Order: sequence, then structure tokens, then C-alpha cells
Amino acid sequence: MVEIRTPIKSEVVADLRVGDKISIFGKIYTGRDMALPKLVRLLGDGSAEAMGIELDGSVIFHTAVSPAGVGPTSSNKAEIEGSMPALSAAGVRLHLGKGSLRQDTVEALAKHGSIYVVIPPVTALLEGKTLSRRVVLFGEDGMEAMYELEVAGYPAIVAAAHGESIYR
Amino acid sequence: MSDMAGKRSEYDSVVRKVADALIRASSSFRVDQIEAYRRVIASEENPSARWALETLLENAKAAAERRSPLCDDTGIPHLILEAGQGRSLEGWLFAAMQEGVALGLRELPGRPMAVAGDDRARVDQSEGMFEDPSEVEPAPIMVLPADGDTLRLHVLMQGGGPEIRANTYRVFHKNSAEAVVDEIVSWAVESVTLLGCTPSPLAIGIGRSHFEASSLMLQAMALGDFGKQSPLEKDITDRVNESGIGPLGLGGSHSVLATFLKVGPQRASGVRIVCMRPCCCMEPRVGRAEF
Repeated sequence: MVEIRTPIKSEVVADLRVGDKISIFGKIYTGRDMALPKLVRLLGDGSAEAMGIELDGSVIFHTAVSPAGVGPTSSNKAEIEGSMPALSAAGVRLHLGKGSLRQDTVEALAKHGSIYVVIPPVTALLEGKTLSRRVVLFGEDGMEAMYELEVAGYPAIVAAAHGESIYR
Repeated sequence: MSDMAGKRSEYDSVVRKVADALIRASSSFRVDQIEAYRRVIASEENPSARWALETLLENAKAAAERRSPLCDDTGIPHLILEAGQGRSLEGWLFAAMQEGVALGLRELPGRPMAVAGDDRARVDQSEGMFEDPSEVEPAPIMVLPADGDTLRLHVLMQGGGPEIRANTYRVFHKNSAEAVVDEIVSWAVESVTLLGCTPSPLAIGIGRSHFEASSLMLQAMALGDFGKQSPLEKDITDRVNESGIGPLGLGGSHSVLATFLKVGPQRASGVRIVCMRPCCCMEPRVGRAEF
């Protein structure tokens, strides 16, 4: 199990391989169907940084955040998978979700030095590893808002890195 | 106790039992489900797959201890009521079941995912969500005949991922059950690949209409047992497992944990209506209450 701390340096990502088990520590962002396309639009007009979002070396966890907890949603939904290349270009190093990705997405991530990591849908376990949560953007979207979480030891496994994928 | 007080007490008892059934469904694996996980962990040779299965079982233990959700997608409540010939169903019972669902969702707590607004806004989600988890209304209640004095409620919590991947469609059987099974296996391999939350129990209904096939699929989920698999169910499980998708799609020999199949009456026709739902690795999330 490799311990990964945010912000993640490029060389850390370069050393990870498909099938590596990792444990994630530090501040991470969340975003799913509603938030990620909106975030990509903000990046387009240069206003994300002005809103206090620091994407360089970041992790984005594809999850809702609610009193029920957190857990991965399918990353291959059009709104999420379609946002991943632009977010990788903006500095997101680790996309955390579940489900297979298309090969063109896997290659786009590799081009920008990002990887895709699968986290099991283990909400009860994650509850004990989530130290804090706060809304950072799109609060009007309720559970689909973009949050910053402070996490200690989220378990995950590398599913796509450097153009290779665990999915056939 | 007056009649009115007695009725009130009976009403409150139903509300409590339904809330408890909903919380049990959402926060614990059944005994047959735990045994199924232990069996596949013992035989899984892919280390990534075994890690995923062990983590899922560890999560079930943590959820049961905390009485907290197994998964943050706490699901849409679906209720099946089995009513024996010796029981009468009065309107208050349905009101109490609805209230029990709302209480269970508040106590769990459920995910606040009821969409606000008029028809258009509920479709495009343009007016946001309600903050109260109890605003998530149950689907229409299904009532089935049963024997004797039975009055039993099954509370199912249906996650969103499997709903994206489920399919209800006509299959031309060509006078061969194998042709229908081939189609089911083909759908299952495609959908289980995309599901992400595997190993999946497959729930399947075969009926005469889309409504009937979906109803049979839901009954199969409510009544299926991981330890009791018919030869046909086992055949479907084995064939999908040959795909090698594995737990969380990480590869391995256990993409499907079991198959729950219910075949209803059929129409004299060349067509069967098949509903196939690739349930997620937490499902079936079913809690039962006896009244």
C-alpha cells in the first residue's frame, strides 16, 4: 500500500502503475455530474483560481457529499468522463471514482500526467476516514456541490495510468 | 384502551417497524449475503479482486456496527406487501408505511436526493434538491397475495448505478429458452462491465409486459437467497463470470455473486419481455417487517 499525500507531485504519479494499491491523505475535492462540467466552464474563462480552487496536484473524488456520507459514483457517466481531460490539463493528478473508462480518456489522462484510481463504494469505512468537509463551489446544487474533504487513508487501486488500463 | 387509542398504537407500531426495516436494509448485509462473500473470497485468485471483496465485507461490518449506510447512494425505497387471505388492508396501513419510510430516511440518514420543482424542473434538475432526506418518496407500493394471516412488508432500497444499466426489452425466444438466456447473458456482460460496483447479483424477471417483467424482477430481488440457486440461475451466473470482469471491474472470477430469476406466466407468442437489473455489490438491500 503506497501512501499518497496531496498536493501530489508529478514524480509520484509517474511511479504508480496499474494495480498498485494506494492510501490517500490530505485535502481533496469532490465533484460529479453537475459540478464537473460547470468547473470546466469556469476553467475556460479563467475564474476557477479566483474562486479559491487550487487544482495543481489535486485529487477529484467523483462523489456526492451528504449526511449519508460519500462513495464513488460511475465515472463513465458522460458529464464526468467528458470533464476528465480538461481537468487533467488544469492540473488534477488523480481522478478517484469507479467503473471502466474509454481508451481515449485513458490516453488523454496519460498525456497530461494524470491517473484514474478506483475506490470501493465503502461509505461506512470512509466515514471514519473523513476528517472534515466544506463546500467550495456550487453550494446551490446540494449534495452535488463541489466540496473540499480532508481525508486520512482512503483505500484505492490504480486502474488507469500511462495509457494502460485495468479494463479491457 | 379505547378503539381509537388501540388504532393509534397499531399505526405507530407499523411506522416503527417500517423505519427499522429500512435502516436494516440500508446498513447491513444479510446472513446469506455474508456467506456468499466469504465463499468467493476463499476461491478468488486475483489479488486485486480479493482485496476489493475483503474491503466490501469490512465495510458491511462497519456499517452494521454504526447502523449507518452501506453506500452513500441510499437508494429509492420500493415496497412489496404480501397480504394473506385472513388479513384486511385498510387505508391507514398505507399511510403508516409511507410515514415509516420517511422516519427511516431521517434516522438513517438517507441521501437528500429528492428533486424539487414542477415537471420540467424535476426532469432537468434546474431548481435543485430538497434538503430533507424524507422527501425521497417511495415508488408505488406492490401488493401480492400470500397464505393465511401473513402480512409482510419487504423494503428494498434501489441504488442509481444499477438503474442506469438495467434493461427491460423484448426478446424473441425462437422456441428456445437458451436463446433468451443468451440474450440475458449478453446484456449482463455489457452492463456489469460498466457498473463498477461488482460483484453484482443479477435480478431478472420474465413476463408478458414491461410492467410485469419489472415487477417480477423486483420480487426476485426481495425473495432471492444467495444460498439457493436453481440450475438456470447458476448457469447465468457461471456464464457471466466467464467474462473475467471481476469485483469493481478489476478482473477475477467473480463478476456476479448470484442470479435471482423469476419467470411469470407467459403469453402465447414468439416474444418474451425480459427485465434484467445488474444489482450493485451492496444489493439486494432488503429489510422485512411483519405486521
